[in-house]
Amino acid sequence: MTNLYLAIPLLCLSTALLTGLFGKRIGPRGAHCINIAGVAIALLLSLLVYADVRGGHSFNGAIYTWAVSGGVPLRIGFMIDQLSAMMMVVVTFVSLMVHIYTIGYLANDPGYQRFFCYIAMFTFAMLMLVMANNFLQLFFAWELVGLVSYLLIGFWYERESAIFANLKAFLMNRVGDFGFLLGIAAILYLFGSLDYAVVFAGAAISDVQNAVTGFGEWQWTTIICLLLFVGAMGKSAQIPLHGWLPDSMEGPTPISALIHAATMVTAGIFMVARMSPLFELSETALSVVLIVGASTAILMALVGLVQYDIKRVVAYSTLSQLGYMTAALGASAYQVAIFHLGTHAFFKALLFLAAGSVIISMHHEQDMRKMGGLRAIMPITYLTAAVGSFALAGIPPFSGFFSKDAVIEAVRHSRLWGAGYAYAMLLLGVFVTAFYSFRLLFMTFHGSSRAPEATRRRMHESPGVVVWPMVALAVPSLVVGVLFFEPMLNGSLFGDAIHIAPRHDVVAQWAVAYQGQSGVWLILAMVWHSLLSAPFWLAVAGIVFAWYCYCKNTALPSKLAAASGPIYPLLQNQYGFDWFYQNVFANPSVRLAGLLSARIDVGLVDGVLVNGVARLVGRCSAVVRTMQTGLTYHYAFAMIIGLFGLVTWIAWL
Amino acid sequence: MTFLQFAFYFFASVLVFAAAMVVTIRNPVKSALFLVLAFFSAACVWITLQAEFLAIVLVLVYVGAVMVLFLFVVMMLDINIAELRAGFTRYLPVGGVVAVLLVVEIVFVLARTFSPQQFANPPSHAADYSNTRELGELLYTTYVYPFEIAAFILLVAIIAAIALTMRARAPRKRIDPVRQVQTRREDRLRIVKMKSASRTAHRDQQDDAS
Amino acid sequence: MNFASLNAAAARAEIFLAVAACAILLLGVYGDQARRAARCYGLSLVALVIAALLNGLDFSAANGSAFNHMFIADPMAKLLKIAICVLSAAAFVYGRQYNRHRGIFESEYYVLGLFAVTGMLVMASANHLLTLYLGLELMSLCLYAMIAYYRDDRLATEAAMKYFVLGALASSMLLYGMSLLYGFTGSLQLSVISSVLTADAATAAQPQAAIALAVVFIVVALAFKLGVAPFHMWVPDVYHGAPTSTTAFLSAAPKIAAFAITMRLIVGGLNALPDIWQQMLILLALLSVAIGNIIAIAQRNLKRMLAYSTVAHMGFFLFGIASGNAPGYSAALFYVLIYALMGLGAFGVILMLARPEYEADQLADLKGLSKRNPWLAFLLLLLMLSMAGLPPTVGFFAKLAVIHALVQSGLLWVAVLAVLLAVIGAFYYLRVIKLVYFDQPPSADPATAAQTTTTITEGDIAVSPAAILLLSCNVLAIIALLPWIHYLIAICNEVIRRFAV
Repeated sequence: MTNLYLAIPLLCLSTALLTGLFGKRIGPRGAHCINIAGVAIALLLSLLVYADVRGGHSFNGAIYTWAVSGGVPLRIGFMIDQLSAMMMVVVTFVSLMVHIYTIGYLANDPGYQRFFCYIAMFTFAMLMLVMANNFLQLFFAWELVGLVSYLLIGFWYERESAIFANLKAFLMNRVGDFGFLLGIAAILYLFGSLDYAVVFAGAAISDVQNAVTGFGEWQWTTIICLLLFVGAMGKSAQIPLHGWLPDSMEGPTPISALIHAATMVTAGIFMVARMSPLFELSETALSVVLIVGASTAILMALVGLVQYDIKRVVAYSTLSQLGYMTAALGASAYQVAIFHLGTHAFFKALLFLAAGSVIISMHHEQDMRKMGGLRAIMPITYLTAAVGSFALAGIPPFSGFFSKDAVIEAVRHSRLWGAGYAYAMLLLGVFVTAFYSFRLLFMTFHGSSRAPEATRRRMHESPGVVVWPMVALAVPSLVVGVLFFEPMLNGSLFGDAIHIAPRHDVVAQWAVAYQGQSGVWLILAMVWHSLLSAPFWLAVAGIVFAWYCYCKNTALPSKLAAASGPIYPLLQNQYGFDWFYQNVFANPSVRLAGLLSARIDVGLVDGVLVNGVARLVGRCSAVVRTMQTGLTYHYAFAMIIGLFGLVTWIAWL
Repeated sequence: MTFLQFAFYFFASVLVFAAAMVVTIRNPVKSALFLVLAFFSAACVWITLQAEFLAIVLVLVYVGAVMVLFLFVVMMLDINIAELRAGFTRYLPVGGVVAVLLVVEIVFVLARTFSPQQFANPPSHAADYSNTRELGELLYTTYVYPFEIAAFILLVAIIAAIALTMRARAPRKRIDPVRQVQTRREDRLRIVKMKSASRTAHRDQQDDAS
Repeated sequence: MNFASLNAAAARAEIFLAVAACAILLLGVYGDQARRAARCYGLSLVALVIAALLNGLDFSAANGSAFNHMFIADPMAKLLKIAICVLSAAAFVYGRQYNRHRGIFESEYYVLGLFAVTGMLVMASANHLLTLYLGLELMSLCLYAMIAYYRDDRLATEAAMKYFVLGALASSMLLYGMSLLYGFTGSLQLSVISSVLTADAATAAQPQAAIALAVVFIVVALAFKLGVAPFHMWVPDVYHGAPTSTTAFLSAAPKIAAFAITMRLIVGGLNALPDIWQQMLILLALLSVAIGNIIAIAQRNLKRMLAYSTVAHMGFFLFGIASGNAPGYSAALFYVLIYALMGLGAFGVILMLARPEYEADQLADLKGLSKRNPWLAFLLLLLMLSMAGLPPTVGFFAKLAVIHALVQSGLLWVAVLAVLLAVIGAFYYLRVIKLVYFDQPPSADPATAAQTTTTITEGDIAVSPAAILLLSCNVLAIIALLPWIHYLIAICNEVIRRFAV
């Protein structure tokens, strides 16, 4: 079985290397054949592993010892349990869809093979990340994911905006990664090991002493969890490290957007879920996670309201949904977070692909104000987009309904500090989410076309390679929620892969309401119950309001915007985060760097230290060289002098 | 002072004096002759140490063979030693000072810590003791390994001397029969294809050839 | 005493090689000039390989001695002997074409080479001042002759003369030191000397200053043989003046032999007096690393530059011995083996580049080599990186081991200085890389220009593919050994652990 585990990431790595190194030789056709075959086999193997793990065969062990440093072995190892096996399936599945979709989307792009190399490498990195059994491997994969995302966002490197966006993503992730690295360092310091199993066991039994910091006494687990969560905030784009995700839409839309939105951002969520034994020990950290998640959920949803770029709407909705997942993590409902992550991966991928399909059809026009009425031209895209939107808004029986309702219920049951705030924000978020997702649907597909005449005549449904992945994603978007709700609720979905302290177990408290029901009856009871509760009606209200604003009374939105005073510009500027970072961190840093470069580096280091020393050595060399006269008796004399010196030194001291 | 001690100091003084003259005197023939004197004195010193065989061998080999050969060479080559020693006086002060200091230091150190009284005299031998036999036995048993290596050093000296001096100059005008026999037709004869200038000229050539 | 008690079988490699050299000398008389040279060349290679095998067969056998304890067979001797034989054979292969072009492809050259190797083997196993000295002289005499062998070249003759005169001076110092040592201890056998000195040290009965005098003379002579500053003056002139084939020979195996006698004398014989020689060795090592690295920068001739680099490397390996503990000796052993491999490779590249009438030994000759001969350029790149001690080459690990040993024995300031000086040294190695990869080649390729002026057919000029292959293996070992680096270091540790005192 170990070889099988190893084969899954290595398949992706080998195809990536093959495409990267011999891209020219194998050609575009060869590139996509190899890569799709590779990732498809990886998916099949992942399914096999998942089935095996469901059968009760989990695995945790080292495969290869890379080095031993200071007594700490640095290993490559795998921890295969229900959590990682499920993540493997999600990663390879979404990746396969992306691979197929790319054939149509990037046809004739000069960087075709390069792109395949990147996404295969990305799949490899994600797989290593979810399969890791130690912090070092986790960190390496984490960084590799960051690197590939940098490359993907800057895929069209001639574009100024793409360069800016990838730099921004990289820098923001760096902030998060720094926290993450500090967290890992703290773990190594405290537990002397980087293996998950050892660390979790150590955390559970030992009453880790408190650390004295400049701000009073803190529990060590709190410090570690907060640091790790900073990493998760970077990768999963939580406020205030969220700014890179909307900008990352600069990548080849919407594939890399999808890579980011449906896969990479889940790394943070996954990591926190994986670290559940640690987070459970610190209520402070859980509260922080909860509040950050809830804030992200509502604030980003609000920004999504005012966007006109179709990709950016989807991107902000992703941010908001990530906030939901994080809030679920904060409420100790890890399985709910992963559940939502899974359903979200499907319907968000679907929405991204639909947006991409629209963009192809509109000849790379992304402004929704120039769309409209596409329903007739692109029926399949419309239908699949509608499925995605219903799922996103949380309408039963679409998958998003189950997962999002579970998140809200989990937060409602939470007794942590800040849970009330989080619950309110998430409820409000439901309305906003429904509104902006249907705003997108109505503006794009309904009404009359606002596109220019020239574009309109050439619009058509997208080709098969674009459409089929959408259909393939629409099906799970419909059914995944129904299928996995019950195991999620009774805790059998992840078994002992996650650890929840009994007093935090909100899902169990919630499950009490459905005691004794199972199968279809459980689903029906759940749907029936939700029909009587607030989230469902808020979602419906959002949809109706969107319909009213964008189909019935199209003048209303601009009137509302005008009447809102400073709120609308505030949302348009995304609360000024970008402005703040640019002016407080970026610009002064650049100025300081320029100053240091000119004065210290060029002047002192290069001028005096480097060149100065080099010149000094050169001069010494020229002087000492003259001793080498070429005359034998000089040499002999030098030897005698040397002998004399040594005799004097040794004999007289 | 016993006679033995007197003999030792006498011959040792002669030895040092002769050695000094070897390096300082201008005439190379005289210098060689002083070297002969030095060898003789050394042989005498060895006799005082009861190493008769070595003393005899030193006289026979070095004085009788090597130095005679050396004198021949010196006289045949007519070396202008004055030219070789140009600058000798110029370097003498510096070199001399260093040499004297070094000697003083060594003497000081050794005299302070190292005296003959520290070591017992070696046992003296009976009158019929055979120096030659003892030496031969040691050389061919205990010291056979260094002895053989020394032999190889001498062999190498011979090889090196011959190889460095007796070397055939590279480009010699000599016929190499092996290569001569191996000659092929193509090495000697080259057939050149040429365009015929005109029909008649061609026929003329053919006539000539036949 | 009977013959069996000599235990001559322990020295079978030396005996075989000496006999083989004599046989080859005789075989070299028959046949025409070119053919007998080729025959002797081939037979010399076979003899060297057999000698290496004879040593390798019982590598892990228990320590033994022969010839009344004058000869010692411990793993260090065997390891060094194998290296000496193999590297010398490789030097012969690299220099073959070069020698042919210069009319020194003669049977006697190889016979002298074999005798030199015999001398080195004697040195590696010496347990007696007499055998040690005789082995040293046997080697040195052969080397003088091999340097002078290119008789038509004024530089070579001059170099040989200098080496001979200065070598004689150094030998006299060695003999004086040995005679003093004999006077104090009453024995020429190193193990006896060691035990007498240890006993004296225990009772504080020894004349400290006088013994120090003996140690000084011995150390100075060793420093000359190693080419360590300030007794290094002969190194650049000899390396430069000697025919490159001889320089290649000189740069590898004799360094290993010099390491052997240093270990035998200092660690084997004088191990009771570390406080006398440790300071001295540190001073010498620091001086040579500094002088070697600094003067190398000002060189325009590649062979001279490599000569100064040798001075620096020898200083570096001396740090290992100066640290005075087992890890240090082991590091020094590792360093000298790696250095011999690199030095031989570097001169091998020059030999491959040389053509009739064209030595390829100016730094300017290397300009744009990457475009003319990319493979040799790449090999040179690896060599320079390794000599500069940059990871991921073995040169880095060799330096690391030495520095580690220095730090372990508490000589932190020496370690810091050594690293700083090594950084200065990196300059001229990297300059070679710059010349090879970033400079424009001269308008006319000097190699081809030289070919057109001489009337030698193409077949004569071409370097044999076997030589290139061997050189490639030699140089690529710098990278390829990396996965086994711990294994190699473990061997060195084990060898030093079983070092017979």
